[in-house]
Amino acid sequence: MDQNHSSEKRGITMKTNRYILLLLLTVALFQGCAFSRGTVGDTITPEAVAAIHQGSTTRTELLHLLGAPDRLFQLNGRDVLHYYRYDAKAGSLLLILLNFTRLSIKSDDLFVVLNKEGVVEDIISSTRTNGLKFRFWPFGE
Amino acid sequence: MCKRATFWIAMAVICLPFQGCNVVRISLNTTLTPQDVAFIVPGETTLTDVVTKLGAPDTLTESEAGILATYRFMNLKYSRVNFGWVAKPWTPVDPDLIFSRTGLAVDAFQVAFDLSWVVRHHAFQRKLSPSPFYPYPF
Repeated sequence: MDQNHSSEKRGITMKTNRYILLLLLTVALFQGCAFSRGTVGDTITPEAVAAIHQGSTTRTELLHLLGAPDRLFQLNGRDVLHYYRYDAKAGSLLLILLNFTRLSIKSDDLFVVLNKEGVVEDIISSTRTNGLKFRFWPFGE
Repeated sequence: MCKRATFWIAMAVICLPFQGCNVVRISLNTTLTPQDVAFIVPGETTLTDVVTKLGAPDTLTESEAGILATYRFMNLKYSRVNFGWVAKPWTPVDPDLIFSRTGLAVDAFQVAFDLSWVVRHHAFQRKLSPSPFYPYPF
């Protein structure tokens, strides 16, 4: 009975030691690691883009939906409203003697082309930041 | 014994240049290659096709015969070696002997559309091959 109890106790201690070792190993692996992130502009939500309809949404509705554009320019007599958002993710592996850093920047862009009557004629949008990851390894693609 | 010492000296010599070494890479957008844009056929491909495959361009500008869409991408490679690290254990000061080099590869892909948003022509602005990580500045 006593022998069973002591072997059970030894098992628990070994398990605890293993967890501590795993924790120490994890901490050791992540020391000298840095994660940084920077964003510019508001998120362009897919819901907001879906709410814009070609041929029916007006300039007023568009401004109510997305706010003032980041850029406004003319394209062959038509107004183009450009909304953008930049996302930057940097991962650094600081190994004291040898440091690796990788910074990836991508943007989400939305161009809305308005006709002369102020109604949406075309929508050009894409979300590139969805696949943006923290990367450390600077070599390769 | 002598062989082992030679081995360790050789290892130290090989490792020396990597001491105090920094390797940094900055990339803006995904680099487009000629293979990525091979689907574009002037006179046939429309803006919708281009946006579906490549995403929205970074800029849209007016040109004399239509609209110009530009996709920009950049790759910056920086490497730095501080040979001062070698002397650090033996000197009371913090010596620096730094070799560093930055290579910036900026490129853009331009697509010209007519007024009905059909591709007229397309081209890469510059074809810069990205510089390697190479800290020797001379």
